[in-house]
Amino acid sequence: MESMRGNDEQRLDALFQAYRNACPDPEASKNFMPLLWQKIEARQTYTFSFKRMANALVTAAVALSIALGVYMSMPRSNPFYAQTFVEVVSNAQDAAAGTAHVDLPDHGR
Amino acid sequence: MLVDFSLIERAQKGDNAAFNEIVLAYRKRILGTITRLIARPEDVEDVAQEVFLRLYFSLDQLKMAQVFEPWLHRLTVNAAYDYLRKQRRRQEYRMSDLSEQQVMMADASASGKAEHDDQQQKKVRESVDSLLGAVSEADRILLMLKEVEGLSLKELEQVYKVNENALKVRLFRARQRVLKAFGAAEKAKDPGKSG
Repeated sequence: MESMRGNDEQRLDALFQAYRNACPDPEASKNFMPLLWQKIEARQTYTFSFKRMANALVTAAVALSIALGVYMSMPRSNPFYAQTFVEVVSNAQDAAAGTAHVDLPDHGR
Repeated sequence: MLVDFSLIERAQKGDNAAFNEIVLAYRKRILGTITRLIARPEDVEDVAQEVFLRLYFSLDQLKMAQVFEPWLHRLTVNAAYDYLRKQRRRQEYRMSDLSEQQVMMADASASGKAEHDDQQQKKVRESVDSLLGAVSEADRILLMLKEVEGLSLKELEQVYKVNENALKVRLFRARQRVLKAFGAAEKAKDPGKSG
């Protein structure tokens, strides 16, 4: 049994060797190189377009960020927003206090 | 090495003429390896072009020109593996439909690619192709590289980037499966031979 297995091993090795001889390295066709360069150029064009699109998107995003930053840092001219929240609350309290003062009857006189 | 390191370095820097020279130097060898790996003469050039396409776009990742050949082998193995995975159904008809193979061989002969094919060579190719149909695509490639292409374990280690022992185990198992299929085929050919 073992010797038969060893025999099979040798025959398999011989078969692999015969396969190597039965499949010699083929010659490339005439179109091999032109087709290869065509494929390379096609892939380059695709990659280039993709990179260009990605660059455009990045540039647009940066420009938008800068524009938003500038817009946010600009002083507001709208009077509605001219005061801070604290100022508005303080003024409202003052106004309320003033109103209360006016409404009080003057018993002292 | 079929080319100088300086040529590889020039190609890495974007010199298309240098890249062209590299392709011309390795083209025949790569075509031969792919022919034996995928066993489909009509698709060999496509797969080889894919290998060189991948080489062109990954050459800048190669750190040392000295490891160029294992790198190229790796690209070849990956492209062949991808092709075989796409053609998985092929394995089924390889085992059951020999007429498909005969048609393929006839096509190869007609296109002049297998001028020197004689009946014996066809038989050998059919036998090995059907034997290797019994193992996975990955094992087929590994066995081919070792047994037919004659790569050493050290070279395979560089190609697969796994340690030698793991490769030995994988090779042993794959070879055992093929050996089993070989024994069965031999027994079927000669039923008088008992086991």
